[in-house]
Amino acid sequence: MDIFDGLLLGLSTATTLSNFAYCFLGVFLGTAVGVLPGLGPIATISMLLPFTFGLPVDTALIMLAGIFYGSQYGGSTTAILMNLPGEASSVVTTLDGHAMAKQGKAGRALAAAAIGSFFAGTVGTLFIAVAGPLLASMALTFGPAEYFSLIVLGLVTSMVLTSGSLLTALGMALFGMMLGMVGTDVNSGFARYTLGGSPNLLDGLDFVVIATGIFGLGDVLANLQNEHTRSAGVAPVSRLFPTREDWRRMTAPIMRGTGIGVLLGILPGAGVLLASFASYALEKKVSRHPEQFGKGAIEGVAAPEAANNAAAQTCFIPMLTLGLPGTATMALMIGALVVQGIQPGPEMLTQQPTLFWGLVVSMWIGNLLLLLLNLPLVGMWAKLISVPYRFLFPLICVFMAIGVYSINNNVFDVYMMALFGVLGFFFRKVGAEPAPLILALILGPMAEEYLRRTLLISHGDATVFFTSPVSLGILVVTVLLLLSILSPNFRKVRKEGLQEAD
Amino acid sequence: MRLNQDVLLGLFFTLTGLVGGLGALSYPFGSASRMGPGFFPIIIAALLTLTGLAILFRARLASSLPVEAVMWRSVVIVPATIVIFGLLLEKLGLPLAVFLLLLGAATASLKFELGLRAALGAALFSAVCAIVFVKLLGLPIPLAGSWLPLAG
Repeated sequence: MDIFDGLLLGLSTATTLSNFAYCFLGVFLGTAVGVLPGLGPIATISMLLPFTFGLPVDTALIMLAGIFYGSQYGGSTTAILMNLPGEASSVVTTLDGHAMAKQGKAGRALAAAAIGSFFAGTVGTLFIAVAGPLLASMALTFGPAEYFSLIVLGLVTSMVLTSGSLLTALGMALFGMMLGMVGTDVNSGFARYTLGGSPNLLDGLDFVVIATGIFGLGDVLANLQNEHTRSAGVAPVSRLFPTREDWRRMTAPIMRGTGIGVLLGILPGAGVLLASFASYALEKKVSRHPEQFGKGAIEGVAAPEAANNAAAQTCFIPMLTLGLPGTATMALMIGALVVQGIQPGPEMLTQQPTLFWGLVVSMWIGNLLLLLLNLPLVGMWAKLISVPYRFLFPLICVFMAIGVYSINNNVFDVYMMALFGVLGFFFRKVGAEPAPLILALILGPMAEEYLRRTLLISHGDATVFFTSPVSLGILVVTVLLLLSILSPNFRKVRKEGLQEAD
Repeated sequence: MRLNQDVLLGLFFTLTGLVGGLGALSYPFGSASRMGPGFFPIIIAALLTLTGLAILFRARLASSLPVEAVMWRSVVIVPATIVIFGLLLEKLGLPLAVFLLLLGAATASLKFELGLRAALGAALFSAVCAIVFVKLLGLPIPLAGSWLPLAG
């Protein structure tokens, strides 16, 4: 099937009335929850997960994707209007976006973000349509050794790209792998860490439950710590349409940002984060007025938002074609798909083409909806943002509790969410970022399985990882990444770039 | 040794690594070519323990950031009410459990006042939840739990 047939198939899937309606609903709900301060995409997706149960698989996936980029976009609205980044990748947007908002140019900053995101989303979607099938057919030739090396690369990238020390990130990843071992060993049927065969633990810890606890509830607990210091100033939104001068200034940055985002998004690890930082740094470098950056330069909003969104699209590629999540959010998407009974991987494209192409086309429709939805509705979002946190957080708790209960209809999951919420709070208190943990939780069991298969085929000979050219290449990239952290130049950039604003 | 971020995290990793490693000792280890269920856990647990020790060592070498004082009120109240929600969900049904969770969690905020407004708001939201999740989305959660005479 070539790309045009695929896109046609996707178009017919995505434009059925119910799929279109759920795409709209997903984008709408995702934005509505995503604009709420202190709720990143992970908490948003897990809160809204019950809304996708009971839907046909393709509709559920389309709605989930809608929720994902809706929340992503909602996060930038909050970043611009309130100077509160919902997640690390919108930290950059706060720099110039909020500066513009303070100068009364909030509407133009939002428009720049929306237009940049839409353009980037369109290019990103086309890129998935072209590169996805190529990569999937390549992935079919990968053996377990190549997969294992890819997983190692993904884990290392996620560790390199988190703020804080590498050692801390390594510990978090290893701890996540330990958590992933709880339950019945798929190969031998042996029960591991089930506290004497507790039936609730035999199936393993549910990924969505842990992610909701650590990110969602952990954030609530952390936010309640500084209730008094939270400033709730929302900048007023006036004129929404960019001026001719704005257009002239932001066209090239949007293109460059899109290019960076599309390429970096495929990187396993934290491509989205890296993309927004890299494009901001690039714009600052090529700009004729670098001194304006941080003081309300529209390029500093348009470029990272474009990069951010392009990467948010292309980070679906490793998930859809390899079954490997590149980011914590994608890991959650895989968790949600598994709930639906789908295991993403290279076979998905050939066995369920409707699913793949329907998703690709609906992504583009979703981006169009975002543009149409956000600019007119921005006043409503601004009202939502200004709801005080003390009214919001009990509602968030309710949605999260119902959400995790509904996965297995088991109250045990509610208790686990509470437990991991406290753990997530602890990690925040000791300065450990949970992203590598979440990624390792889903990659850990895969790593074990691929390692076992590799060593079974090679009769216990581990050198096979270095004799397969693809695997060797991936490992070389991994080592280069690790070495680059040790170089003082990169250290400085990483420190500046990953400075979290909280 | 002062209690700072690195000390706490290092202790956490070391302890979980040790517990995980000791627990995995009783699982069949197998060999490299036929990895048993204990093979991977022992390797990862050993690495986790070493990482924890390295972080503890780092804490001795360089001063890490101090741990900010924790306001225990919300950290205790919110997870506790969620656990209570879990205990009562199937006993009282969704609307009542949501009502209790809303009011219970809200007390974690310093600015919360229990009054008619809060109770009415919580009641309204509980009704909305019941309609959305049970009636519209069809989640199999009872509206009236096993403790209530209405159940059946």
